[in-house]
Formats: sequence, structure tokens, C-alpha cells
Amino acid sequence: MLGFIKKDLLMIKSNIKILAILLIIYVVMAFQGQMDLSFLLPFISVMIMMSTFSYDSYNKWDAYVISLPDGRKNSVKAKYLSTIILIIITTIIITILSFTISYAKTNMIDFENIVGTIFGSLFATVLLQSFIYPTIYKFGPEKARIVLMTIIFCIAIIGGFIIQYVDFSPIIKILNFIETYWIIVFLIAMVVILYISYKISEKIYDKKQM
Amino acid sequence: MENILEVKNLCKKYKEFELKNVNIILPKGMIMGFIGENGAGKTTTIKAILGIARDYTGEIKLFGLDNRKDDKKIKENIGVVLDDMFFPEILTPNDINSIMKNIYKNWDSKLYFKYLTDFALPNNKAIKTLSKGMRKKLEIVTAISHHPQLLILDEPTAGLDPVARSEVIDLFQSFIQNEECSIFLSSHITTDLEHVADYITFINNGNIILSKTREELLEDYGIVKCSKEEFEKINKKDFIKYKKSKYEYEILVENRKAFNKKYDIDTIDKITLEELMVLMIRGEK
Repeated sequence: MLGFIKKDLLMIKSNIKILAILLIIYVVMAFQGQMDLSFLLPFISVMIMMSTFSYDSYNKWDAYVISLPDGRKNSVKAKYLSTIILIIITTIIITILSFTISYAKTNMIDFENIVGTIFGSLFATVLLQSFIYPTIYKFGPEKARIVLMTIIFCIAIIGGFIIQYVDFSPIIKILNFIETYWIIVFLIAMVVILYISYKISEKIYDKKQM
Repeated sequence: MENILEVKNLCKKYKEFELKNVNIILPKGMIMGFIGENGAGKTTTIKAILGIARDYTGEIKLFGLDNRKDDKKIKENIGVVLDDMFFPEILTPNDINSIMKNIYKNWDSKLYFKYLTDFALPNNKAIKTLSKGMRKKLEIVTAISHHPQLLILDEPTAGLDPVARSEVIDLFQSFIQNEECSIFLSSHITTDLEHVADYITFINNGNIILSKTREELLEDYGIVKCSKEEFEKINKKDFIKYKKSKYEYEILVENRKAFNKKYDIDTIDKITLEELMVLMIRGEK
């Protein structure tokens, strides 16, 4: 298992220079107040992991990996674990940078606001990746982009319709409850969503003809 | 003799192609060359052996173990080179070492780096910067650095220049010095197989049409070259296939000595695998 995780992490490492440059640009923009760093979390982690899928697909790694011991069993699991490691690392970096920028600009750290925003971004990241991965395993990274754009477009239209005609008062009550325990609720939700996504991806991969 | 690979009645159906009752037996300590034209079913057979292709029927055993039940045990003991399938090209040979030592129990980093040096492969350059030949050598080095007992190689010498091909063939021959080890390799470059293979198995349109020892094929089989008049005197039962060219008939016979005794035709040559392939596929009966 460790070998398969290492493979993804080494692929990420080989793109580290580009990532560092991107990060510097965003930090400068954040200093100037042009953007919030927390938005980087979903953007960077999705972008990095998508690129690993593209390289895998281009070199037919998914077929090659099956010729290795426990390759079929561990390949999908390793991708999810690498994602979790990447999300943890990027969250730590962005949290530290956000604190530093906040302190440098205002001489104080707006702890509650920063943690809240980063947690929101973290949730969005997990949600996005949990949705993207099974799509990639099913359609491949190239087709998955088109499928994803179509789905997002449909969600936007349906969402717009729902906002206009649905009564949201029961949902607001639930959100008020969540406000008290939001960290626990979000953490559990993230784990459950990611696990369901993993199981779906595993099933798709297991049945896939290479 | 113990068999290292046994394929029995392998069938696999695609929309436009089908493997039909493929049977292969590779004894321990031997090299089997697997030949056939593009799309004949070589890669599909290899994919089924490795469990990459699914939904096939039949039985596949490696080291006497069922490939579906004992997957991990089998894969610890095989080395694989697949046509156009490998590590993502942004990784380096060094990266491959740190990945593989966490995948194979018997991964031998020392041996791997020795092979890299022997083949003049760089340690720290991304795979994408390597030439096609260097990349192929890296794939082979990666396949043999965990002391496998069986190598399964799909077109391992494709894209290599004659010098590199000779190096690789030497490597295969030194691998086979250990009598516990075997090689199953598909190749278009039939001259390579004439040098190394103990057995030749020929697949055409999803069917195994021939599987014999190299001696049987290259010593017994023959190619008869004759005129139209001579051809018309030959009984159809005495040849396998024939091909008509502008000036002569080329006839594939199973036993050139027996044919020579029966017919008064002087030009009977030993056959090369390339001629055999062409006559078997393009010849008529």
C-alpha cells in the first residue's frame, strides 16, 4: 500500500516548483486583499490530484498497476489516502499562511473567522473530490471533465428552481442546530461522504475492463 | 517437467474480437515466444493471464496456483513488461526504486541500480525525457529487479536498436540460467525469438494455430519453392499452406525431409519464423 501512496506523492513532488510559484502569487494577492487564501484549498488539491489522474491515464498506469502485487486492491485506496494526506498538508500550509497574513495586516489573528472559512473550504474540497473521483474512474479524466461540467450546469439550473419554489424553514432549523456542533457534524459528514465515494470508486474500478 | 504457466480453454469475448479456447503450457526453465500479427490476441491473452482483463472463461495457473485465487502470491513472483503501460512519465528511475521497494517483498535496490548502470540509464531523469529504447530498457530492469521466477513480456524489444536488443536478449539468457526461471514473451521481432525461445506459440485471430519447440519448427518445417507444374503434382495433404508469387509457388510443409523423399523438388529450405508467420496468415490451402 505504501508504495502506491508514495507513487502519487512523488508525482505531486515533481510538480512542486509550479505549485510553489502559484502559492507565492496567491499569497501576494492575499496580502493585497485581492483574494481569500482559503479558496486555494479546493482549487489546489483538486487541480493537483486531477493531474495525477491524467498522468496515470496517459501512461495506462491503471492497467500496469494490476500486474503488481495487490495492485487492483490498493490502487483506489492509495488514491484516496494520498488525497487525504494532500488535503491535510495544504490545510496546514494555508492555515499558517492565513494566520501570518492576518497578523501582518492587522497585528492580530482573526482566529474564529479564519478557521470558519478554512473549514468551509475543507468541506467543499472533500465534497468536490468525493464527487469527482468516481466520475474519473468511470469515464477517465478527459471525459470526466465534460461529465462534471454537464452535471454542475444541471445542478445550477435545478438549484435555481429549488431556491425559488421550496420552503427552507426546516433546513434553517437544522442549520441552527449544526451551528452549535458544526465542527463535529462537518467532520462526520466529510468522513461519510469520502467513504461512500471510495466504495463507489472501488466498485467501478473492480469491474473496469482495461 | 513442472509447468510454470498453464492456460486451459481460455475464452474472452469482445464486440469485434474473440479469444477461442486458448491453451498454453510453459514448462519451468523455458522461454516461450508468443507470435502473431497485430490484433491476433497476444496482448489480450497476456492481460487475462495477469488478471488485467476480466470476464474470461477457462483456467489460468501460474506456479500451479489459480490466478484468481492466489493473485498476490503469484504477482510477487512475476515480472512484467507491458506494451505502452508503465509508471507515469513524470517519475524518475529513482522514484521507481522508492515505490517498488514498498510494493515487492523481494525488491533488490542494489540489483536495480546495477542494471541501471549496466544499461547506461540515468537515475534522476524523468521517464518522459528518455528515448523509446531507454524507456523500454527501464521497463525491463524494473520487471527483473525483484528476482521473479517468471517474466511475462509483451513486445519487450520493440523500439530497441540492434545493439540494445542484443543486450536485452543477453539479459534474458542470463535470467534463464537459473533453471527455476521462465520467460513468456510476445514479439513481432521473430529473429529475436529464433535465438532465445525454446517454444514457439502462434496465435491467429484469437486461435492458437501452432505450439511447438523451436527445434521442431526450425528443423522439421520447410519452405518449398517450385513452379506451377510442380505445385500441381503435390497432394494437398502434404502441405500446410501455399502462397503464389509472380514467378514461383512457396509451400509450407510440416516435415521437409519426408516431403523431400516423396517429391522430386530440390528447393526445400529451412523456414524462418517470419516466413512461417506470413505463410500461415496470408497463405492459402
